[in-house]
Amino acid sequence: MKALQWQGVNKLAVGDVPDPQLRNPGDIIVKVRRTVTCGSDLHLLGGYIPFMEKGDVLGHEFLGEVVEVGPEVRRHRVGDRVVVSSFISCGKCWFCEQELYSLCDNGNTNPAITETLWGQAPGGCFGYSHAMGGNPGSHAEYIRVPFADVGAFPVPGEVSDERALFASDAAATGWMGADLGGVKPGDVVAVWGAGGVGQMAARAAMLLGAERVIVIDRLDNRLQQVEKYIGAETLNFERTDVALELRERSGGRGPDVCIEAVGMEAAGKGPQYAYDQLKQQLRLQSDRPVAVREAVHACRKGGSVFVLGVYAGFVDKFPLGALMNKGVTMRGAQMHGQRYIPMLLDRMARGELVTEHLATHVMPLAEAPEGYRIFKEKEDNCVRAVFVP
Amino acid sequence: MRISGKALLTAGAAAAGAVTATRIAAARRSSTQAAGRRHVITVNRAFDEAGTGRLPAPLAELGEAVEIRRQPAPGGRGTEISARARSGKVSDGDIRRALREARSELEVGYVLLPGGPTTEPTPLNKPLREATAHGREGGLL
Ligand SMILES: NC(=O)c1ccc[n+]([C@@H]2O[C@H](COP(=O)([O-])OP(=O)(O)OC[C@H]3O[C@@H](n4cnc5c(N)ncnc54)[C@H](O)[C@@H]3O)[C@@H](O)[C@H]2O)c1
Ligand SMILES: [Zn+2]
Ligand SMILES: [Zn+2]
Repeated sequence: MKALQWQGVNKLAVGDVPDPQLRNPGDIIVKVRRTVTCGSDLHLLGGYIPFMEKGDVLGHEFLGEVVEVGPEVRRHRVGDRVVVSSFISCGKCWFCEQELYSLCDNGNTNPAITETLWGQAPGGCFGYSHAMGGNPGSHAEYIRVPFADVGAFPVPGEVSDERALFASDAAATGWMGADLGGVKPGDVVAVWGAGGVGQMAARAAMLLGAERVIVIDRLDNRLQQVEKYIGAETLNFERTDVALELRERSGGRGPDVCIEAVGMEAAGKGPQYAYDQLKQQLRLQSDRPVAVREAVHACRKGGSVFVLGVYAGFVDKFPLGALMNKGVTMRGAQMHGQRYIPMLLDRMARGELVTEHLATHVMPLAEAPEGYRIFKEKEDNCVRAVFVP
Repeated sequence: MRISGKALLTAGAAAAGAVTATRIAAARRSSTQAAGRRHVITVNRAFDEAGTGRLPAPLAELGEAVEIRRQPAPGGRGTEISARARSGKVSDGDIRRALREARSELEVGYVLLPGGPTTEPTPLNKPLREATAHGREGGLL
């Protein structure tokens, strides 16, 4: 079958790979109908997560049709239309039982890498390097989905492919940031990043009752989407002083909840940004934490910061003093999709959560390398490129 | 065109078993500093179920070469299983892998097998391929 393969740093190509097979009794095979780029892939593409092999198939946000089911699968039948969580979770371990699905004990076939790096190993993810299990991704005609009764969800008839697709990763991730960040009715919430994840986090905060939600980015087209489709306020960090503006918009207190949806390749300005870039290039720090620093500093006393953006290793100049003295709670996680996807699909069916506008570019799988180029360069106002195999 | 993968399921399981067997037969001499250390995992199964009776295959296969203890985890959060090499016949890596696989068997009923491969060896990815070929043996467990 055809699949989009990583060929080296910033090199992608569509090639032929073997069809996936059922390997465990809880597996299903899905014929991919739609699969989409995610900001996380850019970290792989750029070589910031050095656990890729030539030939790895990318993609973890997808929807498709079940074409084969393993003997222990109970919830799916051939022909079902399903959306699949980007993290692979067994549903039986202690972490899955606590609904911390991305921390699954049994979902990563290579726990050694991340356990060595971070002390404990999170679960596995589709198409997200050998540190996350080396599972072939969804930018392909077919994909094997392990633990399908736990991670694949039937899409209600009234929800289109175009909308349901984003329940797989962006919407579930954004919802988790608002939920575990502790958003409560009446809160002021600030979200860094107006990509798919940031937009979904902002919408989640609104649906959880936040009174004011402010999204920060520098790309006007994305901020316009936030105003038009999400209904939140915006702030362009290239034109305004984020810290001052957030203070003013939160009655001088600072936002109650700050959600960071930018990640390790954050853009910034001034000498601190130049410092971060240089250190990252010299491999003296693995990540550029511009937005996290800003969030901790802006957050109100006793507030919370949730890190959705992906980081791989170590950062410099972390404002630990602000965190400690202001009594700020900081949390982060890879997405616990299984916890939220059914609820998100219901909200999509009711029209509370719209996502289609994120798919600014839709193209055949054969054009995926060009799709990634446009997505990476944010060319032609690209927010997400969707591939149809 | 797709070929049915059901036949491969059993083949896959057999292959995994064969690999386990070769590993034990080879009895890779352990020379790590932590040799003889007690390795422990917590299984999300009540002590009644996971703490007594037959050991799951990956641990049972190590036989007399390891000393195994099982006890209830604090707060009723499952069962702790620990293992330590009695001699140099079994490496720390073998023990880590057996413990992780035992946990999967007890919790899920089987051990997750990797998909693919879709990759090709290059000089650049040689160390990574070596690491992932022993993905459950390394780490800190
Ligand atoms: N936690 C998870 O499970 C999970 C899941 C999906 C994505 N992610 C991560 O979330 C992050 C966002 O994903 P995405 O798909 O929306 O990515 P994206 O690249 O489409 O969007 C990131 C946005 O951040 C903006 N940005 C850059 N620097 C900024 C700054 N200093 N302040 C404010 N905005 C800034 C960019 O202009 C861009 O619009 C990535 O790091 C991705 O890896 C995490
Ligand atoms: Zn993603
Ligand atoms: Zn689990």
